[in-house]
Amino acid sequence: MTDTALFLQQLINGLSLGAMYSLLALGFTLVYGILELINFSHFNVFMVGSFIAMWVLQMFGLTGQDVILTGLPLAMVLLVAFAATMLGSGVIGVLIERLCLRPLRNVKGPAAMITTIGVSYILFNFILLTAGAENLNYPNPMPSIQYHIEGAVLDLRVVLIWVVALVLMLALHFFVQKSRIGKAMRATAQDPEAARMMGVEVDKVVMMAFFLGSALAGAAGLIFGIYYNFTSFIIGFTAGLRAFTAAVLGGIGNVPGAMLGGVIIGLIEALGGQIAGEWTDVIIFSILVLVLVFKPTGLLGRMAPNKS
Amino acid sequence: MSNALTLLARPVAWMPEPRRRQLGLAILIAFAVSFPVWHNNDADIDSMANAAAYAVLALGLNIVVGFAGLLDLGYAAFFAIGAYTYGILTSFQVQPAWSEFWVPFQWLGLVSKIAADTGSGSVVHFTLSFWLALPFSAAFAAFWGVLFGAPTLRLRGDYLAIVTLGFGEIVPIVVRNWSSLTNGAAGLNGVAAPQLFGWSFGVNATPYYYVAICLVALLIFVSIRLRDSRIGRAWMAIREDEIAAGCMGVDLTRFKLLAFAIGAAFGGMTGVFYVAKLQTATPDMFGFPVSVMILVMIVFGGIGSVWGVVVGAFFLQLLQSWWLEDLTGWIDAFGRMVHSPWLAHVDLVRSIELIFGFILVGMMLFRRDGLIPAVRKQAALSFEQQHAVVQRGGFADLKLQGLGGDVRTGAAALEVKGVTVRFGGLTALDAVDITVPNGSVVAVIGPNGSGKSTLFNAMTGLVPADAGSIRFHGEEILGLPPHEILRKGVARTFQNLRLFPNLTVMENALVGQHARLTTGVFRAIFRPPGTRAEEDAARTWAMEIFAIFGNRLAPRVTQMVSGLSYANRRRIEIARALASRPRILLLDEPTAGMNPAETLELAEQIRSLNTLGLTVLLIEHKLDVVTTLADTVYVLDHGEVIAHGRPDEVRRNEEVLRAYLGRNAQAAAAAAI
Repeated sequence: MTDTALFLQQLINGLSLGAMYSLLALGFTLVYGILELINFSHFNVFMVGSFIAMWVLQMFGLTGQDVILTGLPLAMVLLVAFAATMLGSGVIGVLIERLCLRPLRNVKGPAAMITTIGVSYILFNFILLTAGAENLNYPNPMPSIQYHIEGAVLDLRVVLIWVVALVLMLALHFFVQKSRIGKAMRATAQDPEAARMMGVEVDKVVMMAFFLGSALAGAAGLIFGIYYNFTSFIIGFTAGLRAFTAAVLGGIGNVPGAMLGGVIIGLIEALGGQIAGEWTDVIIFSILVLVLVFKPTGLLGRMAPNKS
Repeated sequence: MSNALTLLARPVAWMPEPRRRQLGLAILIAFAVSFPVWHNNDADIDSMANAAAYAVLALGLNIVVGFAGLLDLGYAAFFAIGAYTYGILTSFQVQPAWSEFWVPFQWLGLVSKIAADTGSGSVVHFTLSFWLALPFSAAFAAFWGVLFGAPTLRLRGDYLAIVTLGFGEIVPIVVRNWSSLTNGAAGLNGVAAPQLFGWSFGVNATPYYYVAICLVALLIFVSIRLRDSRIGRAWMAIREDEIAAGCMGVDLTRFKLLAFAIGAAFGGMTGVFYVAKLQTATPDMFGFPVSVMILVMIVFGGIGSVWGVVVGAFFLQLLQSWWLEDLTGWIDAFGRMVHSPWLAHVDLVRSIELIFGFILVGMMLFRRDGLIPAVRKQAALSFEQQHAVVQRGGFADLKLQGLGGDVRTGAAALEVKGVTVRFGGLTALDAVDITVPNGSVVAVIGPNGSGKSTLFNAMTGLVPADAGSIRFHGEEILGLPPHEILRKGVARTFQNLRLFPNLTVMENALVGQHARLTTGVFRAIFRPPGTRAEEDAARTWAMEIFAIFGNRLAPRVTQMVSGLSYANRRRIEIARALASRPRILLLDEPTAGMNPAETLELAEQIRSLNTLGLTVLLIEHKLDVVTTLADTVYVLDHGEVIAHGRPDEVRRNEEVLRAYLGRNAQAAAAAAI
């Protein structure tokens, strides 16, 4: 492979990873924007999402990469898989909020954050105990169609990942900007007290933020499986930390910022991984610290003013 | 039987509380010391030694999380740093070529000269003594704690959690990949066992058990001493309310860093012990699950509760090594009995992390204070105490040691010149000039949103000003951090009350004296007579301040602030500010929420304080209070001073009337005249 081809290849990989991190970062940013809470359970809602998607795909009789679908059946299977996964993980997110976080909404200090760590741990170990510790071969019905650009390979599934991520992010963007509840979400992020007095049902808004964030995490989980052809109980931790870095980099609480941050982190991982190898995570973590120290508002700025 | 028990219990019940504690402690120590003697089972002693090591870790983390309120999710990183420091400096992993440079170290017994594996030449073999390694690794881990904490501790608390999580993840990655230093994933081997007077501990569990028990005892001692000192109070103030802590003179960055460094030091120390005991170290021993486990121990035992944390650590560690296996056996037997294959194959030992997750969530939802809460609820005042006749303050008793004492020289105490504060497009203060003469009472009035509180925030360093200067007795204080402004003698109260709700009335007033006390970490731990005297004097001074408010606060000094009435909380805030021996007192709506009688009482008290020489600047809405108290009144509107002068002058000022009452009312007032 020539240098150009290698660069192009890593660019393609980076954009795919970036699409995944963006979707995941949106969940952090939505919840943080409204509750000022770092939701550690999000790490493993993503992981559970990838398992839900796997089970759904297996229900269609797909195992591994042997069964290949084309045309309408493929589109239908993928559509159902994404819809079911997003609904499933969205419901998990809502349940977490309703059962574990709402009672702690007005408790000061780290109680809510500690709870999300506990929930994350429960999800993590539940999957570990039921599905085992091995990497599981992921069902992938995508035909292996490849386009060659300057020596780099662009797989059909990568194109699919880009399209799905783009559609979901645009949908979220317009939902937050235009819809009634989207406006309520932004109002709550700005000033929960004032929003409540204007008739916004804050409980509903919070629930919506959890549903949307978790649904996107589920989609990201499915993308992870299709991209890497495996899933495991352990995938949530690193991906989650990177996605959180993406959210901070873009400006936490800021929806376009999370998308931008995700793409940047994806590119750093792909291009940096070429150079730094095992040390990529050290680089990404350093970015997190540097951004927090020198530009805590991130690239695009925080959407909500700092409540103190 | 029950009679015998009651007979035995009776003397215990009669014992005074301190004696009962001493008895409990004695029994505990006797149990801990004699355990290996009457329970001569090496595996069990080993479990106890491990549990003790985790208790040390949990106590160290408790200083960070429980006392200072900083959620650290990567504590195992410091554990790893300590462990690898000892491991590398006693194993055969790193062997630089021998040179003259090493000779002095050889004399000190830190290195020895051995033949190289390759056969030719000599190499250095590190032989750091375990006993030296304990403090050395502690210092080294603390160094990393400071290095890493300095940039990140200025962040909001929740960011700190994620950054520490990342740090905890990075350290094992570095360890895994820096093979030349750490032997990578395979781990260090052949770490030397500790020696005492030439006798090696070897693999026998008992000596390790005693070392671990000593470490636990040390940590309990240090934790309790620190908690009950100026240091611990500063940490708890930060935990309760960072902004108020800063305004009461606590250097936030410094004290957070201190907590972080001390926590890291104990983590590093435990690392040395742990590796010396196992004689091997691998990166997997220090991953995220370890950090979470230590956190679970704290949450389970009680965040901030020293004894709770010890109990939590021992219980959860022994649960894993002793009880869970038995429990699994019983459940499986029961499963076979009821022909339930699922129950018969339950394995609780493998599910321990799942159990940890449930403990975290369950404790947070249902018992946030943990098994043994850090603060015990105080009994409420008796009926008589609550209904005692209110006594006005006793100013005769108040020896005004450093409280004001300024005479009305006419010189300016506080001089605000051209201060401008902008929030985005909004100009909250526009070139404000205010002069507070020494020994006077100056009031600032103005409609809501006119910038009064912003003015106070700018004066106390909470809000940066875009232009202007604020001089206090000739010194520029604009741009200084809040704690330094307090140190110079500017103390304030807050409009919306910023007390430390989970500290007692006395502790709140003691935090107020933070800047006037000098106790550092070592004096807090060893508590020499000078420190004791300082602490006694601080308490006496606080009681004298409380006496200003008659018998309103004095009987309640041991109660949590959160349980007191609104008016009393306002008084505590004033007392806390006075405790810092200010030269000027800034009061932000001190009588808000008080009834007319209480308002009058407080106004009199402020007047008396002023008579004693304290300069006062107050924001107030109740115009009668302003008229009776103030020598000069400044009127703010839309961030500008629109009038100032004697209260009666200002009352008749047209612009003031317009700002306050609107144009029509002004016309009506004119017509009435």
